[in-house]
Amino acid sequence: MRRETQNILLVLLGGALLKLALSGTYLRYVKESLQPWLIGTGAVMILLAVFSIARDLRAGRTAEHDHEAHAHEGHEHGKSRSPWMLLLPVLAVFLISPPALGADTVNRSDRNAAQESKASNGFAPLPSDEVVPLTIGEFVTRTAWDDSGSLNDRTVRLTGFVVRKESNVYLARLTISCCAADAAPVKTLMVGQDFAGLPDDQWIEATGRVVPGSATKDNAYVPTFTVSAINPITPPEDTYEG
Amino acid sequence: MSKTRHRWGSAARGVPGIISEVTITGEIRGSRPRRTPPKLRVTSLEVLCVVLVVALVFQDWLVSALDAPVLRTASTVFVAVCVQALPFLVLGVLISGAIAAFVPASTLRRLLPRKTALAVPVAGVAGVALPGCECASVPVARRLMQQGVAPAVALSFLLAAPAVNPIVLVSTAVAFRDAPLMVPARFLGSLLTAVIMGWLWVRFGKAEWIAERALRRLPDRDGTSRWVVFAETARHDLVEAGGFLVLGGVFAAAFNVLVPAEWMETLGAQIVLGVLVMALLAVVLALCSEADAFVAVSMSALPLLPRLVFLVVGPAVDVKLIALQAGTFGRGFAARFAPVTFVVAIASALAAGAVFL
Repeated sequence: MRRETQNILLVLLGGALLKLALSGTYLRYVKESLQPWLIGTGAVMILLAVFSIARDLRAGRTAEHDHEAHAHEGHEHGKSRSPWMLLLPVLAVFLISPPALGADTVNRSDRNAAQESKASNGFAPLPSDEVVPLTIGEFVTRTAWDDSGSLNDRTVRLTGFVVRKESNVYLARLTISCCAADAAPVKTLMVGQDFAGLPDDQWIEATGRVVPGSATKDNAYVPTFTVSAINPITPPEDTYEG
Repeated sequence: MSKTRHRWGSAARGVPGIISEVTITGEIRGSRPRRTPPKLRVTSLEVLCVVLVVALVFQDWLVSALDAPVLRTASTVFVAVCVQALPFLVLGVLISGAIAAFVPASTLRRLLPRKTALAVPVAGVAGVALPGCECASVPVARRLMQQGVAPAVALSFLLAAPAVNPIVLVSTAVAFRDAPLMVPARFLGSLLTAVIMGWLWVRFGKAEWIAERALRRLPDRDGTSRWVVFAETARHDLVEAGGFLVLGGVFAAAFNVLVPAEWMETLGAQIVLGVLVMALLAVVLALCSEADAFVAVSMSALPLLPRLVFLVVGPAVDVKLIALQAGTFGRGFAARFAPVTFVVAIASALAAGAVFL
């Protein structure tokens, strides 16, 4: 591939990273903490390309005599085809803009991101509000490993998306620790309402109570959640939890 | 028509390397007799334009074609792997460019023990200093080779750096709060892998397995400023390695949706099978070495040993890394290096597990 094409690809790829980082869409793919890195990376790519383009233009104006040397260089660069692959993420970001992971990923994995190790730190008392907003991860952890039963008889509000597997309807979130490739689900089985109108991946706020002791090793620590009210919402900007 | 051609021809002479290949006219043939076929050459620049236009025109069709849940998931994972890895690759090529421009080969020779067999463990421990994931270490290792560092030494740096640096060890400690011995076990397993591979290369490795282009010395800086060397080296490494990184991302995304997760659950009980399956999973999932501990800890159905194997194999050999190595050092190299690393990493992880777990 020729130098000029490589530089254009670099500008496009750097632009794609900047677009992701500045528009907030990067949260679909990576952790929030990566944002400054993405901006820096995009800027470095564009700078390297612009520097090289500027050098080529200057060399073209001033050094007509070393035509042969440059032609040789261009010819040599022509052998490599791998830089074409750089076009794939560019097209994916600008044209397709893949969505955040959702129900499909949850149903692909039996892993449970809620970890027993969190329990060893002890559980802070819940606020005394009538309805306690909780992350699904904390909801699962407390149901499974908090022996003091801090969730029993408490009304909680969970936010997540709807996942259907066989005849069961779950409320789920995905957690990522670096990027979407390592996403692991946390989920709770919803009962007590008619969920027929809720499609997969519909984001909801669900208010209700846990069925005490419903998260056990046998059901891979998926608690049962008796829902009293459902409120469809628009997806949050950062769909991942934790 | 002939007038336009004439203009193109002289422009091509004026701006060498930019449009000199667009048309081959009599004038150009005169100055370069080797290129005889007098036909219009299609260069990558035109191909790129056509691809972009076609992609734009068929955007709606593309989007609807990818509208199946599996493909949506795969494309998200693909973009995620690329977006997450590119900052590390850029860090790697900047370091590589800096070595090329500012660190003379003699300095490196002075820093490392003269005997290669001794320099190998030194390079392994030096990996602590490069806090990045595996994408960063490939261009750096290649630059070290070009600056005259023995391949065995550069290779053990390549294997050690992504696995033994402080960030990876801290994230392992955070993930495995209940099993703190995973941290020294991982450190030992990865360091062993790097050092053994280095020594194996000293004993059996052949320089001709590595593509000639990876070892070729940079031309002497005849008056070019150091910053130009820095920028050009970094740019060239980025373009070359970036393509292969993207290729690795394609494989990782495909395996992410194709490998059934139930494997792990069902095979968890059998320790031998568990070790093998986890080693293979580490290769195909191509997780970032700073995140794999969190994935390993969530596979709570498995005993610790297979999960340790997962953590030691992952940073040493995975599809993303194999693609990068094939691109940087040549296919012949990757075809030999990757399988041996795979076996050595499993053995090292088992040895480290025997000590600590």
